[in-house]
Amino acid sequence: MADSLAPVCTSLKQEYDSCFNVWFEGYLEPLATTATEAQRTSHYQRKAEEFQAKCGKVYAEYQNCLQSAVKQRGIEPLLQQAREEHPLREAHPPADSPPNSK
Amino acid sequence: MHFFSQSFSYEHPWAHVVVGMWHKYPNPKCTHVVSIDVVDRTIDPTTGIIRTERILGCKQKAPTWIVKLFGGSEDAFVREISFVDPVRQTASITSVNLSLSQFATCLERIQYTPAPGNRTSFTQTAEIQARMALWRSAADGLERWLVQRFEQNAHLGKLGFMDVLRALEERQAAPGAV
Repeated sequence: MADSLAPVCTSLKQEYDSCFNVWFEGYLEPLATTATEAQRTSHYQRKAEEFQAKCGKVYAEYQNCLQSAVKQRGIEPLLQQAREEHPLREAHPPADSPPNSK
Repeated sequence: MHFFSQSFSYEHPWAHVVVGMWHKYPNPKCTHVVSIDVVDRTIDPTTGIIRTERILGCKQKAPTWIVKLFGGSEDAFVREISFVDPVRQTASITSVNLSLSQFATCLERIQYTPAPGNRTSFTQTAEIQARMALWRSAADGLERWLVQRFEQNAHLGKLGFMDVLRALEERQAAPGAV
């Protein structure tokens, strides 16, 4: 597992990564084709809650540790600028069409 | 603006490739990635889409003259946003450089989708764009550097000339001087 950019946060970061990886196992298994929309929604809702319950605490501790390092290293303004420029709140469209030249 | 694109397929099922995404680093073949941090992660309870925002720390690959002229550090950071959609079975990743982004941006897009024969197709595009600000900043940096050099030289010139004048004065004050 990769290190954190802040060495003091690496152990929390790796604990969080492990937690995510365990939770993520099996997440991609397709649901039964007979599953209804409602069943699908309740499935993912349950998974999201399970993730929060299992990994939420270590995530909060990890973020708490990381935030000060992100500030110290001068990354925060760069990240802020990048988020404004490309919010990327939704996945980009499929890449099968060539990009428009500008 | 420059474009780059490539596509091929991995001989692994899609789910395996997407699990692998989280295990890609550290990687002896990609030693330039030295750290990875999750700065935001959300799971959409309706669609199941996991959005993850990460910061990758890389060893600086900028030419040393850029680092020297314009500052910057040994570390370069990249922001990466990924979307894993378990229903539509797509994973898409967008990355953009944070460091030196005032000069140029490299926006990379990757997509993994299932392909026939339990394979995974991979497409990658990148847009590399120098900013107009490059020229202004480059000019600013260069100007600042030139001003400093000029000031240094002017200072040395002054000291040097003072020595010459002092030596002349001493010679004139000495008895028997012309």
